[in-house]
Amino acid sequence: MTQDKTRFSISRRQTLMMMGAAGVTAFGPGLAGLTGAARAQDAPKGQVVVGFSQEPTVFNPHLLHIEVDEGVHYAIFDPLFDVDTEGKFYPLLATEVPTVDNGGISADGLNWKITLRDDVKWHDGTPFTAEDVKFTLELLMNPDFRSWRRTGHEHVRDLTVVSPTELTWRMDKPFAPYAAILASTFIVPKHAFEGVDPNEAPFNNAPIGTGAFKWQERVAGDHIELVANPDYFGDGPYLERVVLKYIPDMTVLYTQFKTGDIDVAALQWITPDHYEEAKGLEGRAVEIVGNAFFESLTFNMSKPQFQDLAVRQALYHALDKQAIIDALYYGVPSVTETYMPRESFYYNPDLPQHEFNIEKANAILDEAGWVRGADGIREKGGVRLAFTNSTTAGNHLREQAQQFIQQTFREVGAEMTISNLPPAVMWGDYWMMSQFDTVIVGLNVLTGPDPESSDYFMSTSAGATGGAGQNTWVYNNPEVDELLKKGAELVNPDDRKAVYLKIQEILRSDLPFLPIFQYAVIPGYKTGLQGYASNINNRIDTWNIRSWRWV
Amino acid sequence: MIRYLLSRVGQSLVLLFLVSLIGFMVLNLAPGGPLSQFALTPGMTKETLDRIAEQMGLNRPLPVQYADWLWHLVQGDWGKSFRDGRPVLTIINGHLFATLLLMGSSTLLSVVIGTWIGIRSAVRQGSAFDYIATVAAMIALSIPTFWFGLVSIFVFSLWLGWLPAGNMYTVGDGSLPDIAIHLIMPSFVLALVNVAVWSRYMRSATLDVISQDFVRTAQAKGLAPRRVLMKHIVGNAMVPMITLAGMQLPTLLGGALVTETVFTWPGMGRLFLDSLGYQDYPVVMGLLVFSAVLVLVGNLLADLLAAVVDPRIRLD
Amino acid sequence: MTHAATEALAPPARWWRTRTMRRFRRNRLAMLGVVLIVALTLACFSGPYFLPFDELYIDLRARFAPPMTGAHVFGTDPLGRDIAARLFQAGQISLLVGFSAMLMSTVLGTVIGVVAGYSGGRIGAALMRVVDAFLSFPSIFLLLALAAFVSPSPLMITVIIAVTSWMEVARIVEAEVRSLRDRDFVMAARMLGLSSVRIMFRELLPNVIGVIIVAATLTVARAILLEAYISFLGYGIQPPLPSWGNMLNGAQQYLDKAPWLAIVPGVAITLAVAGFNFIGDGLRDALDARSDLR
Repeated sequence: MTQDKTRFSISRRQTLMMMGAAGVTAFGPGLAGLTGAARAQDAPKGQVVVGFSQEPTVFNPHLLHIEVDEGVHYAIFDPLFDVDTEGKFYPLLATEVPTVDNGGISADGLNWKITLRDDVKWHDGTPFTAEDVKFTLELLMNPDFRSWRRTGHEHVRDLTVVSPTELTWRMDKPFAPYAAILASTFIVPKHAFEGVDPNEAPFNNAPIGTGAFKWQERVAGDHIELVANPDYFGDGPYLERVVLKYIPDMTVLYTQFKTGDIDVAALQWITPDHYEEAKGLEGRAVEIVGNAFFESLTFNMSKPQFQDLAVRQALYHALDKQAIIDALYYGVPSVTETYMPRESFYYNPDLPQHEFNIEKANAILDEAGWVRGADGIREKGGVRLAFTNSTTAGNHLREQAQQFIQQTFREVGAEMTISNLPPAVMWGDYWMMSQFDTVIVGLNVLTGPDPESSDYFMSTSAGATGGAGQNTWVYNNPEVDELLKKGAELVNPDDRKAVYLKIQEILRSDLPFLPIFQYAVIPGYKTGLQGYASNINNRIDTWNIRSWRWV
Repeated sequence: MIRYLLSRVGQSLVLLFLVSLIGFMVLNLAPGGPLSQFALTPGMTKETLDRIAEQMGLNRPLPVQYADWLWHLVQGDWGKSFRDGRPVLTIINGHLFATLLLMGSSTLLSVVIGTWIGIRSAVRQGSAFDYIATVAAMIALSIPTFWFGLVSIFVFSLWLGWLPAGNMYTVGDGSLPDIAIHLIMPSFVLALVNVAVWSRYMRSATLDVISQDFVRTAQAKGLAPRRVLMKHIVGNAMVPMITLAGMQLPTLLGGALVTETVFTWPGMGRLFLDSLGYQDYPVVMGLLVFSAVLVLVGNLLADLLAAVVDPRIRLD
Repeated sequence: MTHAATEALAPPARWWRTRTMRRFRRNRLAMLGVVLIVALTLACFSGPYFLPFDELYIDLRARFAPPMTGAHVFGTDPLGRDIAARLFQAGQISLLVGFSAMLMSTVLGTVIGVVAGYSGGRIGAALMRVVDAFLSFPSIFLLLALAAFVSPSPLMITVIIAVTSWMEVARIVEAEVRSLRDRDFVMAARMLGLSSVRIMFRELLPNVIGVIIVAATLTVARAILLEAYISFLGYGIQPPLPSWGNMLNGAQQYLDKAPWLAIVPGVAITLAVAGFNFIGDGLRDALDARSDLR
């Protein structure tokens, strides 16, 4: 029912995600931190078929893409360093993770120095150098390139290649989350973009990386085939071939996992209703794993109904979270009071516990002066406690939850009308410009493993008021603004922790959104496959596919 | 003949223009946009989405965007998918075979079964067989194809376990027998409606032929009933059938779309729905235009073929 | 009224005594269709009053009850709502959407058909080209494209179905009107100086009402099927409002565990569509004077 059941439970002590930019002292867990000496490894053998319920289609990791595309990126490319299951950085293309202690980062967090491995080759045989890293960081800021993310990179100045294995830069301000951002910034080859429009480069459909697997072919609408890179610089690969199979239906995904047609039931995973059955399957390992997304009923705080805190509190009491989790989601996700995943070092476990209590909800509204009208719907000062609720049409479980919530809200005199929209409409201006009343949505507001979330909670980030972020609540609390600013600049993880605990506490009492649960997913794999490890810090199952092997 | 062809082609171009215009308006007047799908990606900001929309030219006035698209289309450039940047024609091409395979096998089924039922009903007009066939055809036309697919999956996959519940082949297999076994259920489901249509038309076409003088003459000459049937009736009734096949194309294509959604068949229908979900305009527009072309070409071929088979038909 | 080409138009009184109606009543299948539709309509509109359940009441403890569990004749859905209650309520929506879409598309198709048929010449030809154009295109593609992007209220769904279903009516009406255009009574009306509009809709229209009714009946069947399909895909009628189509939405997911979720609404759709098809077919035969000879 909760994380505690699973192999992937992480004790709080282990300070998952703890590393701020300058706080890194420990290096990799060994799997990729090995040098050429580790070459005496088994020859790659066998193939793994990984089932995804969405189709990876964007292979340039810096173009606009979705989660599943990263399934390919992780196999083909490497970042300078990555984050392991325990939230620790480990080096990949860099020889070591830059920290204040090892001189990679200056004490003020402004000057960075990266040393690169000298034994890395691109899949086409070209040597990998600091020029490629420089090119990648510049590509992200190239005004002609449809870069999917500039956060963090926009602060980089004076990017200098000192030698083929060393480069330095200066930040125009301290920005703690930058290490986490670099950990998901895959380095792409400069020579693949020479003389071509980076948006249209042939590379984008036949990627060349440094990773453990090489691009083989894609059968659109069906699968992608990758083969072992025998010249991989690190440990691995141990598989000859990887097939990333697109199965556009989650029931079929599970069936194929059951019959053994796919070896790993990956992204979008096994549906909760199949969990009980899946656990009993012979020769399969199935686990419930926490995910960094949280489900909430989100208010548009600029609507008159929701400006009264009493309304938000009352609706929270009228929300039967446990029933939704237990009945509709088969107890798989875990109840939460915050946006922060419980596995995080920054998670605040001391928030007030939610209580489902219709009488209490009614009492709060009565006291606040919301009076029931003839139709049973409350009203105060000419404002009816009536609103719409939207989500993506076609998300069955969420639509079921929505209808259930509608029923309990009705009991406290609030009228919630369901108005669901197709995804392309739902998440357009309707969402970004806060044109909704309420929305049920699953969000991840963090920056990779870093707790930075200014784009979501800062008052200046609301699209509806001219901001550029995704504060669709139109949430405005100067204290939170101040804390967010501080959190992004502090360097010491323990200092930062205090800040983010406080932010969570304030959000819990302001209730711009009613947290319902933290997502949990159910990956499954054949027991003969060693090395599969879910990693809440990396969004996709194949993050460590280089070390998967059959035993 | 040439004149006929020219006027048909001209007509088709007008249709294509209309279809593309309507499609474009529908897709673009709706709120939201092709980039909305990325809004919930962690770390995504409004600023990024706005910048990319600008870079991709999605902020230009709609008539400009349409003219631009049309101009490229005329030059043979169907545009690129917003999803993965691959050329639209390449993408469609990748899904074409699956759809044609499904349509082809299902047509084969419905022609064989439909012709047999139709002729038998006509020859034994008024018999119990005729009556049952009539009622069965009406019921077949009333069953929602997608639901029939669901029920078939329940019976043949989940209950009896005889056939796979979806997809075109088993992962990692894809041999001919493997594809064939995956093809059985979708093509029968798609054939259901068409069997009904074909048997009805075949029945009335055969009845028309039977009542004509030359058949009576042939019978009077003492030809065996079976030979009369085979030689005259089928031969003559087949001509309108060819035209019918052309006319049935849109229905068949529509039916294939529906069937593909239930059986996760990786064809154009599946692609269409996926692309709709992502508001991938170039692909959706490409599919609209492509299916219109497919239907038009099919119709034209059917007309020409009918004229070749039966010299009495003059095209004008 | 002039020499009616069809008998459907005989004086309004005792229309049921006409030969057309006699032929219709003799058609067992058509009568079965009438019985089906009347029974379904009655059930859907009165059924909810006899059932002890509210179609919207959620009871999570009673999810996935199989048919015949206690008072749940058809079982319950994933939220524990009574399927029978939902089925009837959904029937009201589906039948209403089907019927209204039919009305809209019939009016549209008739107007275009009459105008095209009566005007003839270039206007007529141009109009019919447009009709042909729409007919030769797989309208389900257009329907889905429309449905995916408008906000899905029952009214919008109805309109969308109507705008993709009017062509058949238009073509039939056009052919019929074209064949009547040069008849004596039209000539006479023209010589009397009646306006074109009046000739079209006062003189010609009544004479083609028979074929329109046939086409309209078949259009209801088609509209019900279309609503079911787009709602099945999730683009149609939105929950909690039930429709036969959206009751099937999500049913595929539970096919192994709760097959009744798929079976019950599908049977209802098939019955309704078959009913309208039977009636339409029967009417067509009845209007065809030759059918007496066969």
